[in-house]
Amino acid sequence: MTLFSTGKARTAERDGDRLGFAGFVHKYPETVTAALLVVICVVVAILNPDFLQPSSLIDIGRASVVTGLFALGVFVILAAGGIDVSFTAIAALTMYSITLLTTSYAPGLPMVLVLAMAVGGGVLLGMFNGFLVYNFGVPAMIVTIGTQYLFRGILLAFVGTVWIMALPEQMLTFGRAPMVQFTNSNGAVVTLPLYVLVLPAAAVLTWWILNRTLMGRAIFAMGGSARVAERLGYNLRTVHLFLFGFAGALAGLAGIIHVSSNRLANPFDLVGTEINVIAAVVLGGARITGGTGTVIGTLLGVLLVTVINNVLVMVGIPSTWQRFVVGTFILLAAAFFVVRQRRN
Amino acid sequence: MKKSIRTVMAALMATTVVAATTGFATADDKPVIATVVKIAGIPWFDRLETGVKAFQAANPDVVATQYGPATSDSAQQLQIVQDLVAKGVNALAVVPMDPAVLEGTLKRAMERGTIVVTHEADNQVNTMADVEAFDNSFYGAALNERLASCMGKKGKWTTFVGSLGSRTHMQWVGAGEENAKKYPDMELVDPNNESFDDANGTYEKAKELLRKHPDLAGFQTSAGNDVLGVGRAIEEAGLAGKVCLVGTGLPNPSAPYLDSGAITAIGYWDPQKAGMAMNAVAKLLLEKKELKTGMDLGVEGYNSVTVTKGAGEGLLVIGNGMMLDDKDSYKAHLF
Repeated sequence: MTLFSTGKARTAERDGDRLGFAGFVHKYPETVTAALLVVICVVVAILNPDFLQPSSLIDIGRASVVTGLFALGVFVILAAGGIDVSFTAIAALTMYSITLLTTSYAPGLPMVLVLAMAVGGGVLLGMFNGFLVYNFGVPAMIVTIGTQYLFRGILLAFVGTVWIMALPEQMLTFGRAPMVQFTNSNGAVVTLPLYVLVLPAAAVLTWWILNRTLMGRAIFAMGGSARVAERLGYNLRTVHLFLFGFAGALAGLAGIIHVSSNRLANPFDLVGTEINVIAAVVLGGARITGGTGTVIGTLLGVLLVTVINNVLVMVGIPSTWQRFVVGTFILLAAAFFVVRQRRN
Repeated sequence: MKKSIRTVMAALMATTVVAATTGFATADDKPVIATVVKIAGIPWFDRLETGVKAFQAANPDVVATQYGPATSDSAQQLQIVQDLVAKGVNALAVVPMDPAVLEGTLKRAMERGTIVVTHEADNQVNTMADVEAFDNSFYGAALNERLASCMGKKGKWTTFVGSLGSRTHMQWVGAGEENAKKYPDMELVDPNNESFDDANGTYEKAKELLRKHPDLAGFQTSAGNDVLGVGRAIEEAGLAGKVCLVGTGLPNPSAPYLDSGAITAIGYWDPQKAGMAMNAVAKLLLEKKELKTGMDLGVEGYNSVTVTKGAGEGLLVIGNGMMLDDKDSYKAHLF
């Protein structure tokens, strides 16, 4: 039914003004995410005008990069009707192994090659997921729970468990290189790092693949109905390998950015944040059952989750209440999308 | 689903670990003291193992070895403890992942005549003696005192804990707050932020706190990675030396931030000494000797321990093993 969802979306665009408000929201669920985001920012700004500083925006932008890269990968898999919970383990395994390799054997390796290795490692691990899901017909949920344990087990048992504090210079430079830098009123330096640009770049690439290539059509077709997609002549094996590989690539990239910006490689990091990422994608309007969603919605979902997580101190919500508030927001938004899906 | 996979894996791994290493230990007649840590292979417990080895070297009349699960999983640790009890070790020195999970097994072990000593678990009911490196209130107050002296005893300060459910962390910051009451010019703002021991999350939160309170002058942190997150936020903002940061941390990871002045001082206890002390207590109990206040366990920081009643029938043995290091002193204790 979502076979020609890209085509449908374009039709909807033309019909947008004739649909009325309810229809518009129905066609573009991400408007709800955007509205929620605006409401939260306005409320926070009223409660604490200190929020209205460029540094808030910069911190939120920077904090959403890793979650955003993960989310784009999850979104692509979700669009195809699958699910992935192993991406954090992929990121942890690649980031730690590559940092260790670079530190011990090639401290002078150019950053471009470090990034390429991370992406390559991520692709391989992701394709392993895709291979298992396609060849054995096991649900993606089960496979990726298994590989999450497997990848993390390999990391902790065979690669290492020790924090790496002394990162190679090029990684530190990559994590620190500023795009915008200025000094706050209280003398604190505020920096927007250059690596933030990776997220919009990845988003544009994802959008292009999903909306402008045959692979994108195949992904949405598979999300609608795998059987129909196969009969239409899409090679499901290729699609599986591609989309899990793509999610793996984004995870590998996210891992290296996490290390470079954090200035330490902690093998115990990242795994455990999957739910946050999946919540962001669902809040962005993608259906957990596949076949729908947009890149812009996903990014809005990521911003929403990041903002909620980063304004609680600002508003003065005590730590005991923070999880309560985050949980409530997720439930409210999720309830809305569930109602929308029932109407469908 | 997840849980059952974990349990099966835990059982398999724990059995192999124990089977592979206990075979020789019970072969002769020397009493066996088995130390079980939370996770094997992480720097903290590798350091503890050096203590177990040092104890073994100094006490050839016992067999002292260390075991631990591969991941931080209380089910895996339980499995290891159960296997060791079944093998018939004479004494267990356990650092419980989750004291509640081990209660039943430790109780049965004691009923079978196994000596049980614990560490980092002053709420463990079924233990004969729980060894603590220091009194938690004393430690929290000491961290705060160091922070206060850096802040010039005035200004806004805040606290971080690993999680609100972490008893020791809450005790530390609680004692810190109590200590700060001595200084009327110190103002506690937005206390008890949860870090979940995640350096990146702590970094984001510290940034936000610095934005909300541009005049924030001090942080007191609790979990091991907190100093790294807050330290990075302070350093990147160019506030090293202007904002004070005192918290629990280990010398090796904290070194760069101590050098840059982003971390004022770190507090910790040496797991090596704790491992030696645990084994020393186990040996005393094996020899049916009584534990008394003022006793010397023969381990640095445990030369005059305080013995009180514990959470259950057992005793609480408290040492004086607190370490507080700054830029100038940490290099002597690198681990």
